[in-house]
Amino acid sequence: MLTNNLINGPVTQCLITLLIEQMGERTDIGGHSLFLGQVRTDEIDGKKVKAIEYSAYEEMVKVVVDNIKETLLSEFTDVRSIEIVHSTGMVMAGEISLLVLVSAGHRHQAMLACSKTVELIKERLPVWKREIFDDNSHRWNQNIHV
Amino acid sequence: MEVKVLFFGVLVEVTGTNFKNYKDVKSISDLKLRISDDFPEVIHYYFIVSLNNEIINTNHDLKEGDEVALMPPFAGG
Repeated sequence: MLTNNLINGPVTQCLITLLIEQMGERTDIGGHSLFLGQVRTDEIDGKKVKAIEYSAYEEMVKVVVDNIKETLLSEFTDVRSIEIVHSTGMVMAGEISLLVLVSAGHRHQAMLACSKTVELIKERLPVWKREIFDDNSHRWNQNIHV
Repeated sequence: MEVKVLFFGVLVEVTGTNFKNYKDVKSISDLKLRISDDFPEVIHYYFIVSLNNEIINTNHDLKEGDEVALMPPFAGG
């Protein structure tokens, strides 16, 4: 279930398909740019990440997402729609934890705005992640801006 | 007068709770002192503070029903 752009568990293929299908109703759209963030099996001190457990400040996520959309829609005037879905709870390695779908009249702004949306999510979205290792130990991780 | 304090990320483990209500705190500065009395370990962690969903960098007066969040660095995506 989607609540304030958050979904409990991984972003499913079904949801991805549904969101793209919905965009078909907008015939002023000429291109979509889709970013999917996937949980990666990092290896740290000989231990492998098997899953990430996400938590979020739900009320603030809604505020921040609205702010990000407002910022992007005013900067990229050809962009018609921005969809953001982030996981909470447990997401296994190989599963999708973030979806950003930006739709625009033309491809150039769709791709630029999608990239910028992902960066703003990394910087501003009040979400935290706990990496779960294959021996069931864990560590809290934070974004490194590169 | 009561305010609600939310803890996120590693601070949930450090404090052992998701939230705690505090009575009779006048400001963010007062609140931080009360929190560090209750959870001395918290001061060893970096966090930013939000007041009613808005990140703040300076001291603010508090009023009944305010919601304050202590947020470690974000890690979305």
